[in-house]
Amino acid sequence: MKIHRMHDEPRRREEDRLRLLPAFDAAGGLRPGAAKVVSDATGVPEATAYGVASFYHLLARPDVDVRVCTGLSCRMAGADAALSALQRGGAAVEGCACLGQCDRAPAALQTDPGGGGHFTPLQARRSEAAAAGAGQGAEVWTLAPYGAPHLTPDDAELAINLAGADDLSWAALAQARVEGADAVLQKVDDAKLRGRGGAGFPAGFKWRAVARNADRDPVVICNADEGEPGTFKDREVMAQRPHLMLEGMAIAAHAVGASELVIYLRAEFKAPREALLAAIASARAAGHLDGLSVELALGHGAYICGEETALLEALEGRRGMPRHKPPFPTDSGYLGRPTLMNNVETFACIPAIVRRGGAWFAGLGAGDASGTKLYPISGDVARPGVYELPLGASFETLLAAAGGVTGGALLAFSPGGASSGLLPASMADIALDFGPLQEAGSMLGSAGVVVLNDTRDPLAATLTRARFFREESCGQCAPCRVGTQVLVRLLERMQAAVAAGEALSDSDRAALERVSWQMEEGSICGLGQAAPIPVKHLLRWFT
Amino acid sequence: MTNSIGEIRNADCLFVIGSNTTEAHPVLAMEMKRAVLRGAKLIVADPRRIWLAGMADHYLQLNPGTDVALLNGMAHTIIAEGLTDPAFIAQHTEGFEAVKAQVAPWTPERASAVCGVPADDIRAAARLYATTYKAGIYYTLGITEHTHGTDNVYGLSNLVLMTGHLGRESSGMNPLRGQNNVQGANDAGASPIYFPGYQRVVDDDARRRFEAAWGVALDDQPGLNLNQMMKEIRTGGVRGLFVMGEDILVSEPNLNELEKAMPNLEALIVQDIFLNLTAQRADVVFPAACFAEKDGTFTNSERRVQRVREAVAPPGQARPDWQILVDLTARVGYTGNVGMTPSDIYDEMAGLCDKFAGISYARIEAEGGLQWPCPTPDHPGTRFLHREGPLRGKAQFIPVDFRPSVELPDPAWPLLLCTGRTLYHYNAATQTRRDQGVVDKQSACFVEVHPEDASRLGLDDQERVEVRTRRGAIEAAVRLTTRVAPGRIWLPMHFAEARANLLTVDAGDGVTGTAEYKVCAAQLNRLD
Amino acid sequence: MPDDVPPGPFPGSAAAPARAAGDGLATLSVVIDGTQVHAAPGETLLQAARRAGVTIPTLCHDERLAPTGACRMCLVESSDSRRMVPACRHPVAEGLEVVTDSARVHRHRQSLLSLYAADAPEGVKPGTELDRHMRTYGLEPGLPQVNAPREGRPDDDNKYVLFQPESCILCARCTRYCDEVEAVAAITLAERGSATTIATADNVSLLDSTCELCGGCIDTCPTGALVERKVAHRQDTFPSLKPVRTTCNYCGVGCQFDLQVDPAANQVVRVTSPAPGTTTNDGNLCVKGRFAYGFIGHPERLTEPLIRDASGELVPTDWDTALQRAADLLTGVRDKFGKDTLGFISSSRCTNEENYLVQKLARAAFGTNNCHQCAAT
Repeated sequence: MKIHRMHDEPRRREEDRLRLLPAFDAAGGLRPGAAKVVSDATGVPEATAYGVASFYHLLARPDVDVRVCTGLSCRMAGADAALSALQRGGAAVEGCACLGQCDRAPAALQTDPGGGGHFTPLQARRSEAAAAGAGQGAEVWTLAPYGAPHLTPDDAELAINLAGADDLSWAALAQARVEGADAVLQKVDDAKLRGRGGAGFPAGFKWRAVARNADRDPVVICNADEGEPGTFKDREVMAQRPHLMLEGMAIAAHAVGASELVIYLRAEFKAPREALLAAIASARAAGHLDGLSVELALGHGAYICGEETALLEALEGRRGMPRHKPPFPTDSGYLGRPTLMNNVETFACIPAIVRRGGAWFAGLGAGDASGTKLYPISGDVARPGVYELPLGASFETLLAAAGGVTGGALLAFSPGGASSGLLPASMADIALDFGPLQEAGSMLGSAGVVVLNDTRDPLAATLTRARFFREESCGQCAPCRVGTQVLVRLLERMQAAVAAGEALSDSDRAALERVSWQMEEGSICGLGQAAPIPVKHLLRWFT
Repeated sequence: MTNSIGEIRNADCLFVIGSNTTEAHPVLAMEMKRAVLRGAKLIVADPRRIWLAGMADHYLQLNPGTDVALLNGMAHTIIAEGLTDPAFIAQHTEGFEAVKAQVAPWTPERASAVCGVPADDIRAAARLYATTYKAGIYYTLGITEHTHGTDNVYGLSNLVLMTGHLGRESSGMNPLRGQNNVQGANDAGASPIYFPGYQRVVDDDARRRFEAAWGVALDDQPGLNLNQMMKEIRTGGVRGLFVMGEDILVSEPNLNELEKAMPNLEALIVQDIFLNLTAQRADVVFPAACFAEKDGTFTNSERRVQRVREAVAPPGQARPDWQILVDLTARVGYTGNVGMTPSDIYDEMAGLCDKFAGISYARIEAEGGLQWPCPTPDHPGTRFLHREGPLRGKAQFIPVDFRPSVELPDPAWPLLLCTGRTLYHYNAATQTRRDQGVVDKQSACFVEVHPEDASRLGLDDQERVEVRTRRGAIEAAVRLTTRVAPGRIWLPMHFAEARANLLTVDAGDGVTGTAEYKVCAAQLNRLD
Repeated sequence: MPDDVPPGPFPGSAAAPARAAGDGLATLSVVIDGTQVHAAPGETLLQAARRAGVTIPTLCHDERLAPTGACRMCLVESSDSRRMVPACRHPVAEGLEVVTDSARVHRHRQSLLSLYAADAPEGVKPGTELDRHMRTYGLEPGLPQVNAPREGRPDDDNKYVLFQPESCILCARCTRYCDEVEAVAAITLAERGSATTIATADNVSLLDSTCELCGGCIDTCPTGALVERKVAHRQDTFPSLKPVRTTCNYCGVGCQFDLQVDPAANQVVRVTSPAPGTTTNDGNLCVKGRFAYGFIGHPERLTEPLIRDASGELVPTDWDTALQRAADLLTGVRDKFGKDTLGFISSSRCTNEENYLVQKLARAAFGTNNCHQCAAT
């Protein structure tokens, strides 16, 4: 006779909830029994702990040895073949969402021996010699270290200047302290700096909103969960100029009256993590961080946590499901405290703004736009990399900086991440800026540009991204959770129709429009609201 | 309960003592959980580390039967630190000075030496309770099932009175009734000392009122309480017994003595829904309808009179208890009930009791349940008592001193045995063991043993073991758990094949006769 | 102790913001569908609308739980937002204009429900909240069915609670109830995206989880995805059962519930709790009240009177014989030993009326006060 567990598992207080996700790292991920161990360590109920960990793919599948990126640029570079070849090799290999290494496509991520939340990014390479030995048709792929990134050459007149050297003196922070918080806020206003994470919200407005709550112990958080497909610019900021970002955060803390800095970094970024830890140590030693606490928190594999309120949920040890707004994080964010959250690149703009003034920064942009902008570009281009250009530079300008299209003529480009869709070659002169792209029914977003030559299939590209949204939807609301599934089903039908030489049926086209309307109107957060955009573009320009 | 269940969620401090609420009153416990999750402070005093202890701000693991010491220590702290409510004491109470003098020597240190709770925890709990405006006390059988149960209750009421936690929302003194209609059975006069509505049988005016209504002369002396009746069966003082809806051969203490005495009865009439152990010994057994097969009312812990309605027909020839009683009463020569329906019976009672006078089936139908006191048909009922001060003039402080339980462990009987209820069964489990889902969860008797004791005695988890006291022995499966402290064991009362009451002592409280189910001395013996 | 202590330190706490706030004074005025409605600060649009008699459909809302706004059913237009807002958690503000019956809102309800239909491979259970909404608001022309990979717990061997993942809409009422009301947090939202499901830790059986089998998850489920396992096979017949409101016969809390009766079979099929906010138990029940009703029609019930025959055996008899035998025995003891050698044990399990009759039997018929019952608290 089985004796069941009895009524002796009392509800405990969640005294250590903030340690929930790190505790799962320590437990080796979500293995049988791990939830109990973590529950005992944190006071979070066992099932709740299980539910949280199961949300995050890096925790939920602890036995995966290698993950191969199935993002658009990586698939264009042979990720599908690499994935099946590596799976044939016997290791536990599976596909995953964009690893933020589109310039090293096809990208892969290897779980470090011992796990513990440590991973090593690699590049998959087809081995010609081995293929010959393995017989006809069977490709062999291996994993190898990647080379140095392509960056805009050193130029002191750029706001960020990835190729430049970090200023270890943190002169801008010193200057900000001398000038005072009000002067810094004014400079950020004058700079007309718009957030570089995707939404383009005016940074000065956000900073002032938090500064008004300075009496409620505000916190400054850097969103370093760069996961938007096609985007890898923050990765390079942190790898190349970690002090610049940290100094920007410290200046922000000074301006809004905060003493706590938190960086939420995706765990897949190994070099940025190491660079940041070294920079934090050296800045701490130099006294730059006196009076400030700095915490480096790691993501666990969830694209949605790049959304600021989902990020807060993750930081608080919960499932990364976006919150409703209001309240806005500037009023009630991390642990209910006023929270200033900006993107890595946004913070990295701050030291130059403080040193050289808001007007200087504003003048860097093209046309009405202000500042320079980091544009990651990948896909069918000669030199995929991160290029710092005036905000509002045209796509053609960026393409030229990256060495032009490879493998054919330009067919289409995705101007700013998965939900920006595909624009046709005829629009190559469009300014890569918030306003013009929005007017064109697209978005600048994170400015992760992907280029498609004329051998590519826009429907396949759109389906890749629809599947991405289906996998990365948090699942909280039906418009997004079900809507992304319906989109995939309809696109698959469309693909079958095209293969059979038919057109998309009118009823399916109407269904696409209806479900798109519901996703835009009904979804809680931007993921679901923007997920139908690529489908709209497909119907408008490529059918 | 002085207060209502719905007020618990708004309380800011809950003092739960002698109540394993999540198992014995699960739905009321949900209100407590909501209060705590909302931010209310929780004090739990219980010898066992019960579920609520896990979410408590202060968990006081007192030695069984030492409640008076703990409560006097708390009272001492409240008085010594000036946390009393002098205005309330002056206006609404009598006898404070006597309690003050009584608890003066009961410093938290002295209390701690007796009850085992660290002195600072006693202080902290006392301060929290005394200084929170909406603070309520919740207790049940862990307080009353002792030879000093009445003292325990007085110890609690002293705390309530000295802090003025009476007559306001989400506070008060709240005994949680163990059975569905404990409150109503008392209200209806199933008592050796009270007529319906708590009118004393020795009160001439009350007795004349009932004599006039019933048309017979009534006895003016208190009768025997249950504990006394059980003992009088042994001595021949009780020769005939009528038992409705209770399996006394499971639920009464010290069962071996009672079983031996049962042949002394010349008449045993039982009415029940199952052929329980007592019914198997009866001369006549009446098949009764269960709650789903009859009309009537139950009164819950918060004094709310609610309807019971017939949903299905009784099986076979079974009849509602009220109908059997009407018929039986007529057969023994009293015809005053003939032709009455449950509604008529309630009306007769309400007409004789001012507290219920305003309650009727028609009002319950319309309003969904009424809380007494409800003296008139237009009275809305009473959510919490003593709003305008104590109901009867001034409330009495009653000094109480610590008295140990009657049977404590010694070298021959080294373990302290406590008995109680679990979530998954109910009393003698005649109902719950007839549903497979709860049986799956909890199928057989177990005894909770601390791992230290188990290791000393060489007992494994799940091993069957003999639990023996001076009065009898049963077998149960060992459950290793730190819910019980070392030196103490705990048994559920639900299992007919392992009747906990073969073990318990039948010494009763001096006032209520309630037996000391909660403390006796025992041994655990290996079966091999 | 001072009497002016404020009534509670946590007026706006997350656990019960709506209700706590709703106790305040209605000092604001909003316009809902053209009608002016007074509301208290902190109230939600849903609360104000319901008070004004305006129906806003909901799925993930339960008065006992902190609102999440996740199901999107209650979206309405509000003058302070370009986007439609969830009425269940959007706060009222002075002068707000709210529209709940526009073409946009109506289109939203239809297209949202169409998504729920597309995600219900086995169809929608009749009589459930989701079914009622679909009947009220209608569906758009068919979307392709999706086949979400939601896992159930096929090995869960508990006898009471069955989870049917194909009918789940992930409103999380069950998990929030388990966390916020029963507070045992035995079940959780698990996985994410289309794979999101309701799970226990490591997907163990509810019997091996912290679950206390209260069944509140079943009661709050708006789709019938959670159902009483014993009667899951006849879930389609639930709407035809006859509810009888009565009082639970276990502990002294006095929960009200509805026995759902199949009159033709003279059988209690299931037990449901009244709507939250209507009775003392606020829609809650425990394992015994909700599930342990198997004794009602149990084959071991006593169905005929028994008397002890000459050989000492209990044998069946008729009522007349049994009543007369009992009367003779009791009066015999009285006549032989005196009235005070009779004892009457009444029952705290029986009704007020029955207890009244027992004490009346003792006192009026036999003249003794030897009447008591097992009632220690």
